[in-house]
Amino acid sequence: MSDKQAPEPAGAPRQIPAQEGLFHQPDSPDDQPYLIGNRCRECGFVSFPKLITCPRCIKKGTMEEYHLVRRGKVDMFASCNAALPGFKAPSVQGYITLEDGGRLWSLITGVDPDDVNAIKVGTEVELVIEKLREDADGNEIMSYKFRPVAADAKGKD
Amino acid sequence: MRDVVIIGVGMTRFGKWLDRSLSDIGQEAVWNAVEDASVPPKDIQIAYVANAMAIQLTDTKGTIGQHVLAQAGFFGIPIINIENACSSGSTALRNACLEVSSGNYDVALALGVEKLFCDDTAKSALAMASGTPYAKFGFMFPALYSMELKNWMEKYNVTQTHFAKVASKNSRNGSLNPNAQFQKALSVEDILNSRVIAYPLTLYMCSTMGDGAAAAIVCTREKARQYTSKPLIQVAACELVSGTITLPGEPHVNLEKRAAANAFAKAGLGPEDINVAEVHDGMAPAEMLIYEKLGLCKEGEATRLVDEGITEITGAIPVNPSGGLAAKGHPVAATGLAQVAEIVWQLRGEAGPRQTKNPKVGLTENAGGWVIDDNAACAVTILKR
Repeated sequence: MSDKQAPEPAGAPRQIPAQEGLFHQPDSPDDQPYLIGNRCRECGFVSFPKLITCPRCIKKGTMEEYHLVRRGKVDMFASCNAALPGFKAPSVQGYITLEDGGRLWSLITGVDPDDVNAIKVGTEVELVIEKLREDADGNEIMSYKFRPVAADAKGKD
Repeated sequence: MRDVVIIGVGMTRFGKWLDRSLSDIGQEAVWNAVEDASVPPKDIQIAYVANAMAIQLTDTKGTIGQHVLAQAGFFGIPIINIENACSSGSTALRNACLEVSSGNYDVALALGVEKLFCDDTAKSALAMASGTPYAKFGFMFPALYSMELKNWMEKYNVTQTHFAKVASKNSRNGSLNPNAQFQKALSVEDILNSRVIAYPLTLYMCSTMGDGAAAAIVCTREKARQYTSKPLIQVAACELVSGTITLPGEPHVNLEKRAAANAFAKAGLGPEDINVAEVHDGMAPAEMLIYEKLGLCKEGEATRLVDEGITEITGAIPVNPSGGLAAKGHPVAATGLAQVAEIVWQLRGEAGPRQTKNPKVGLTENAGGWVIDDNAACAVTILKR
């Protein structure tokens, strides 16, 4: 190699987002994570991941970047014992409706996949950024997930 | 618009064919359909070729239809490549029918060909998940089915045993089908005792990977008798829709319902006219939801159809006499045309031990892909003798 890039120190796995520009990962203890989506400036429709055109207004250029709120409720969910190669099984996954109306698919973390009563439809959840899997070089692939809000934190943010 | 009839269908057995190429599998289905139709290959004027995964899983990286049909001896005619995930096969049929009904051509071929097995199972699994952009975040189709099923079970007192009964029925049907990937009849207990994939789904309720091809040849009614003396099967409707997005506070009309409504309107028929159906049960229990979505029964009555054996081969409305996706196999782009082949054989009375009671009208439903929060596409086809 002709360019003089400093080599990564051996045995120092990096954290790499599963997709660039999808979420903000906190870089200090005071920092909060958020999802990066779009919101329609005319009707308020929230999308995550980003939709370039608002599906309700269907007009050119009404969507602008928007950071979704961190809290929401579980719409529906399932435990899954199968996973794609490299991913962890079992998992819990579902659809979440956020307090600002955004609706999205997510893994649900902090829940025992074998305990069917661990969460239910309507359980309050909050955003976290966690390791999703490791790539072949041992790097941590990071992604967004939601976890149940601790009982003492409900109603606060 | 002119009447369109199917004069020939053909398929390969579905299975794991590591030693066979995409083209080899494809040409077999084409020749089976050509022989079935007794049509000189030179009379086929246009072809639509459906494939979903070859670009990811084989060495054929483009113009797949031209490559596959070259191995069947077809050169020079217009060949159009179709990719619409699991609905690719029906989409090819739809377009072939439009070429003939519009008067553009008199004889058209629709082929669905797929090769999912390769020397790397992980690569195949990732390709299968590529229908959704969420796969890289851990999204799993079985979990999605599970969510929908759990809601429905709660609403209508449906049990996991109902789902096992459906899967057992389909495995018995598959055991009678020489083209099925899995030909072992499974009991309700076998199915309930197999590994839980995503409750209520167990391993034997789920479709898996497969290789295979299926084809249909369509023709104007006027010309059909030049070729075949077999019963002519009219394509009364072949309607395609895409998914919608659920907007907050607005009702969501499910895409199978929309496709079925369009197809029934086009055919001038209703759900009560359907004598036999092949439906897209990527997971066997989804078949019960589809009974309701297609209007084969009222909402909440699917359990009665299962408990009373109404959708068995011997019942009043047999569903998935071929074995459905879990037993027959699901080589993605071949599935829709294999469903059509089964209904054609049923309507002609050629289905052998799977033959249902003298059906006059049959239906196929073929859905696939996932965009945002709905299937990407769904086709409903109505065939009549």
